[in-house]
Amino acid sequence: MIVPLAHVLILAAILFGLGLVCTLVWRSNVIMLLIGIEIMLNAAMLVFVGGSNHWGMADGQVFALIIMAMTSAEVSLALALVVYLHRRKNTVDVDEFRELQD
Amino acid sequence: MKAYLELIILLPLLGAIINALLGGRLLSRRASEWLACAVIWGSFAATLAAAIVYRAPATVEIVSWLSDFDFKASLTLYLDPLSLSLCLMITFVCGLIHLYAVGYMKDDPSSVRFFALLNLFVAAMLMLVLAENLPLLYLGWEGVGFCSYALIGFWHTKPANATAGRKAFIVTRIGDTGLGIAVVWMFELFGTESIPHLNQMGHLLPAGIVTALGLLMLLAAMGKSAQVPLMVWLPDAMAGPTPVSAQIHAATMVTAGVYLLMRMFPLIGVSPTVTAAIAITGALTAFYGATCALVQRDLKRILAYSTISQIGYMMLGVGAGAITAATFHLLVHAFFKALLFLGAGCVITALHHEQDIFRMGGLRRTLPGIFWPFLAGALCLAGVPLTGGFFSKDGILGAVWLKGGALYGGLYVVGLVTAFITAVYTARMVLVVFCGDGIHPLPPGGGGLGRGGLKQLPRIMEWPLIPLAILGLCGGLLNLPEYMGNGLLHLFLLSLGSHEQTLPHSTEILLQGVAAAVAAAGILTAWFRYGGKRRQESLAKEQKPAGGIAAFLLEGWRVDALYDLLLVRPYTRLSTFLWQQLDEGCIDDSLDRMASLFGRCGQWLGGRGQGRVSLSLLGMAAGAALMVFWMVWGMP
Repeated sequence: MIVPLAHVLILAAILFGLGLVCTLVWRSNVIMLLIGIEIMLNAAMLVFVGGSNHWGMADGQVFALIIMAMTSAEVSLALALVVYLHRRKNTVDVDEFRELQD
Repeated sequence: MKAYLELIILLPLLGAIINALLGGRLLSRRASEWLACAVIWGSFAATLAAAIVYRAPATVEIVSWLSDFDFKASLTLYLDPLSLSLCLMITFVCGLIHLYAVGYMKDDPSSVRFFALLNLFVAAMLMLVLAENLPLLYLGWEGVGFCSYALIGFWHTKPANATAGRKAFIVTRIGDTGLGIAVVWMFELFGTESIPHLNQMGHLLPAGIVTALGLLMLLAAMGKSAQVPLMVWLPDAMAGPTPVSAQIHAATMVTAGVYLLMRMFPLIGVSPTVTAAIAITGALTAFYGATCALVQRDLKRILAYSTISQIGYMMLGVGAGAITAATFHLLVHAFFKALLFLGAGCVITALHHEQDIFRMGGLRRTLPGIFWPFLAGALCLAGVPLTGGFFSKDGILGAVWLKGGALYGGLYVVGLVTAFITAVYTARMVLVVFCGDGIHPLPPGGGGLGRGGLKQLPRIMEWPLIPLAILGLCGGLLNLPEYMGNGLLHLFLLSLGSHEQTLPHSTEILLQGVAAAVAAAGILTAWFRYGGKRRQESLAKEQKPAGGIAAFLLEGWRVDALYDLLLVRPYTRLSTFLWQQLDEGCIDDSLDRMASLFGRCGQWLGGRGQGRVSLSLLGMAAGAALMVFWMVWGMP
């Protein structure tokens, strides 16, 4: 079964939008923010794979693999940061961390 | 044959692996000691079996390895008379050393690591000796290098020991570079790495290239066999436990360089420049080692310098084209040097780790079980007639004499002078350590050792000396001069294809007479100085801090200081400059400044915003959306 590129792009756009909204709106939890980022990354990955399928070139799939590797590294680091932040303020609310202002 | 050859190498390797993985946890201490000795003796049995079924040079491919287009270097072993005789010696001597080590390391907490490394050492050396191609030989070559590093610095908690290990590693590495270049270059020239093939191709090349290859190999041998100018690591290698010293000096490490030159001799011997360079290096080293040994006070250092000197003789023999004589000396030297080291280890242990010979004396009566074998080893070293050392050294000197000419004539004289000095220092060592009355006026601050204060030695440390003493004394039977019936080793090694001429009988007897006279003169010289009544006087004189030429010799011709001045200090200064000025002053500093600049920019921007993450995110998303809109619709 061949999925047309347009469908893949539409799905990716929807996913990206969902992820973006999640990131922007769900302020009460840093972890949800991270999940939103992950969804956006997956959307990008989907575009890569779709393009690779459409033009019959393996480069896009290689990129997808690289993104996977990078994401797993990023997630482990980010979760460690979340644990650290939680230990400092005993909350995971995004808006509580506003030290950048000072 | 294949099974035997595989077992020779695999047994020690297996012992090393099992001891490294399971020793100390699953294996009891006794089991790991037993295993370490058993695998070496198993390997010896396999070598014996291979010797019995040996008919003609055999090539056995075990596994294919490193194969790529034209390049092929499989795990192939090659058994010919040279490698077979060396394997017999290595496995036998190492087997005895392992047994001795069981007694020596009785109280050491990390004996498992010791035995694993010792086994690996033997495996690497056997790999080196049996290798059919140069990459495999190089693997063994680096293997013994690593093991010697780890074992010299075995008691690594003392910084001096760790430094000695590193020194050995780094100095031999200089030579290894030469071998590495030669290995790659030979493949480029010949398209093969197989040693038997390479050895038939020497005359195909222009003389200049063969000379260059030979000199590269000589550099490798200089590092591994501690020849001038790369000999500085060997005296310091005494920091290791005594069985390790015995193994390095007798059977495994330092003979590797000589073996390499013997193995490749059909190729590199084509060039007269190379043989002359080898012979000069050997003679110079023999002389250097002997003169240094003359004044040393540390029992093990005397033996270390004597090893340097004796290996120099072997190189001299190789340089004179006398492969048989060099092999013969290598084998006999392995027996008596292992014997001397093990004996010295017994003495040192019995005296509670006292190594200064001026604090010993009179041990002839208190340690008779050590004295007689040690005396046998010393007689071999001094070249007293009818011992193995006499015949083997004379074989080399005879070959040099036979070469004739101004150069080799001069080298013969150097060899003879060295033989004299050898006899002097050997007799000095025996007389000072074992004769006399035992209790000396010691320098202030040093505690004396009474006759009753000797430590009891385990039996297992004493009896390996006896077979070694017998082999050292009777080693001459291996290769008697022609007028006494023919040499076994000579006939055995004939198949190597080296066409060695032999001396006329009358000349040979004359040369042996000269050598015997020189040895006797040397021993008498030492006797007049250290024997009988003059002993106290001479010892008192030498107790004082040495000055003049004695100090020069004591410090090994001050080569260490010279290298320190020429190499170590400029290097340290350059490194300090690069570290403090370039790295910390330039690179780190500019990066630090850049980081602080960005940090301040961020602080400045941060102060203007709300500091809320969600708001920043929203701004970022909006900005990105604007950019996308502009790219899609706004672009002209």
